[in-house]
Amino acid sequence: MTPVIALTRFRVAGYVASHRALQPLLALLALLAILYAGAVPAGQEIAATADSAAMLVPVLAWAARGLLDTEPDEQRAVALSALGGREPVSGLLAAFASLLVLAAIAEAALLARLAGSPTLGVLLTGVWLHLLSVAAGLVLGALTSRPILRSPAVSTMALIFGYLWMLALSFAGARWLTVPVMAWMRDAHHGVLLEQPLLLTAQSLLWPAIGLAAYGWLRRTRP
Amino acid sequence: MRIASVSFRYGRRDPWVLSDADLVLDPGDVAEVAGPNGTGKSTLLRLAAGLLRPVRGRVEDRPRVVGYAPERFPADQPFTVAAYLRHMAAVRRVAQDAIGHWSERLGMDHLLGRDLPDLSKGSAHKVGLAQALLAEPGLLVLDEPFAGLDAATRAELPRIIAEISARGGIVVVSDHQGDLRDFPGLRRFEVRDRAVRELEPVEKAGEAPLTVLEVAVPAVRAAELADRLRAEGCTVRVTARVAREAAE
Repeated sequence: MTPVIALTRFRVAGYVASHRALQPLLALLALLAILYAGAVPAGQEIAATADSAAMLVPVLAWAARGLLDTEPDEQRAVALSALGGREPVSGLLAAFASLLVLAAIAEAALLARLAGSPTLGVLLTGVWLHLLSVAAGLVLGALTSRPILRSPAVSTMALIFGYLWMLALSFAGARWLTVPVMAWMRDAHHGVLLEQPLLLTAQSLLWPAIGLAAYGWLRRTRP
Repeated sequence: MRIASVSFRYGRRDPWVLSDADLVLDPGDVAEVAGPNGTGKSTLLRLAAGLLRPVRGRVEDRPRVVGYAPERFPADQPFTVAAYLRHMAAVRRVAQDAIGHWSERLGMDHLLGRDLPDLSKGSAHKVGLAQALLAEPGLLVLDEPFAGLDAATRAELPRIIAEISARGGIVVVSDHQGDLRDFPGLRRFEVRDRAVRELEPVEKAGEAPLTVLEVAVPAVRAAELADRLRAEGCTVRVTARVAREAAE
């Protein structure tokens, strides 16, 4: 086991044992209860998938921030002394793993509430969109975590407004200026989501990639 | 290892904590960093350990394996002592046997099954020391390592430091209480006025005659003066007397 993986395991274990993992899980379950109060009618599977992925972003961001902030600052210093510049990588991996679990629960709930049997296309579209959602949530959570924003109030506001900004910009049709979460929903409801999947993937991963680079750069001076 | 013209401040609007600080440590060196509270001792230690990045200047030739024990071990974590140390041993890629070895030497075998948040300050401090020692560091940075330790561990720690030094490791210690004062070959540094300067080695009793001064000082300044005198190499005992008595 590499040191980075060992530290990732330590962080996930600490997150789960601290019960902080429960907060976003409960929020997710509440969201799913609202989304799937009624069964998803036939023909609406892709649209429901896009709605789920788009609405999941703030919950995933909250979970990522919670995982990264569970560890006391001095413990992060100890980890930094052991791993040096690779320490943030383990935090991101641990957060990514925990978000995959939440996204899998959301995807499973969606599939369970479909009126008909899911096709392979619906299944793959669900995995694809939820992975894009995980990427957006991971970066938003990381950029609002304690090493970057010390104040919990500022961090919470940044997380909420970060998501609202994402919604507002993508609602205005700016697909390259943010993660186009509104475009996911709009395209899915209009039946054109799968026309240019590569383009939409590039648009959806551009800002998470920039955000990750920014997080790495900021962490150099913010241990 | 060389700290070369290092300047550091925590933010653009914050004052400089260190300015153009230089420090060269050779393999086997044991360095004690002294100075009044809030002058930047912990900052210097964190820069040496690589936890902080200098705003200007650089730290060169830092040994590859670094052990760091913070002044206050973060005990608010949901692990038992044994589980925590197992995780840290895995992170350090050292055999789990090392946990038993260091637990025994630091007198903490009986704590292994305890939850970290239930530990006393001194016991938690031992866990912090154990995780720093697990990896046989080439650079060991200890922030106030003697605070809260029991007598047996206070006596053992200098022996551990001597072993690390003997195999060519560098040990940097901030120590208010002067527990390393008699350590052979100890290099002493003082952080003051944003600079680091090396102090003269402490003269051994017998090499130079000692005398006792009685100094009366306002109670609020006592700790600061005591720190300053300790940094100068004096042995200081603070006794609580009323001001009038002391002045007489």
